[in-house]
Amino acid sequence: MNIWLTIFGMALVTYACRALPLLSLRGAINPTLERFMRYVPPAIFAALITPDLLIPRGSLHLDAQLAAGLFGVVVAWFSRNMALTIAAGLLAFGLLRWFGLA
Amino acid sequence: MNIDERLVKADLTARPDSLPYTAADIRRGFLDTIPLWIGVAPFGVAYALAARTAGLDPWQTQGMSLLVYAGAAQFAGAGLFAVAANPFSIIFATLVINLRHLLMGATLAPFVRHLPWWQRAALAFQLTDESFAVSVRQVTVRQAGPGRMVGAEVALYAVWQVSTLLGLLFSGSISDPTQFGLGLVFPLSFSVMLLPYLRSRPMVAAAAVGGLLSLVCHLLIPDKWYLLIGALGGSLTGMWLEGRE
Repeated sequence: MNIWLTIFGMALVTYACRALPLLSLRGAINPTLERFMRYVPPAIFAALITPDLLIPRGSLHLDAQLAAGLFGVVVAWFSRNMALTIAAGLLAFGLLRWFGLA
Repeated sequence: MNIDERLVKADLTARPDSLPYTAADIRRGFLDTIPLWIGVAPFGVAYALAARTAGLDPWQTQGMSLLVYAGAAQFAGAGLFAVAANPFSIIFATLVINLRHLLMGATLAPFVRHLPWWQRAALAFQLTDESFAVSVRQVTVRQAGPGRMVGAEVALYAVWQVSTLLGLLFSGSISDPTQFGLGLVFPLSFSVMLLPYLRSRPMVAAAAVGGLLSLVCHLLIPDKWYLLIGALGGSLTGMWLEGRE
């Protein structure tokens, strides 16, 4: 029972974070807030990317995952294509591991 | 005016207030997420394995996916259940991990404010990093309707539920599927989403500060504050630079 209560608590705080702005921000938006929000997507994407890409296990390892990740970013830069970038990253990872290079 | 100038000068208040749902938007939103499935599905399976190992029963494992629906928080939750952590610390950890959704919701809010409250409440329930990633640029810059978000959210929710279920059905007979480099899927797909924004100095600065702060905080600060700190620091930097220019 305690586990279910905890799960409900987790659901509640998660939903609160997601719903609060969507339900409360109505009418005209303050220009300063508007200016701030324009920069949320790039800031949040970068914040999500760097730890997962560079220190996926909490510290730096010069291994196949790091090399394939950086290669994937280069492919992303030139292709701007999500499916191609993911495929290139995973393929690079597979090849590096297969040939035991990293 | 090209798209990038529109992004810089986007006047949120001047936007038509009633972009309708269209079947085409919903379908496009749904299809946009397909490359992400290869990243989401193994994590759903891995979450189910972790939750079962932590001692949750199958109903609780699937229930958490259905009700909480937040990958990182569910993983952290499973880890904390495994060490029989205090329920309040589990809930607090969930809150910390998910505070970043406040920022995503605030970014999307002006574009859905014309919808009835129950539709906004429903959109909020399935708001995730991934659904935000594939729809935010379409909705905020390219004037796609809210259907774009609906399609992306429904697709990713379904994939998360099915993959949790698969993990439950095959727990005991499979090993963690995320060991095959699939952790690369999220940072790489977010990179593709980030690049189109990097067209002005404040945008580049917002991303640079956000990424660097997140990395440093991940190394130095326990728990998962790094995402919120990085996102806040980056956005504030961009805003400040734009004000100076």
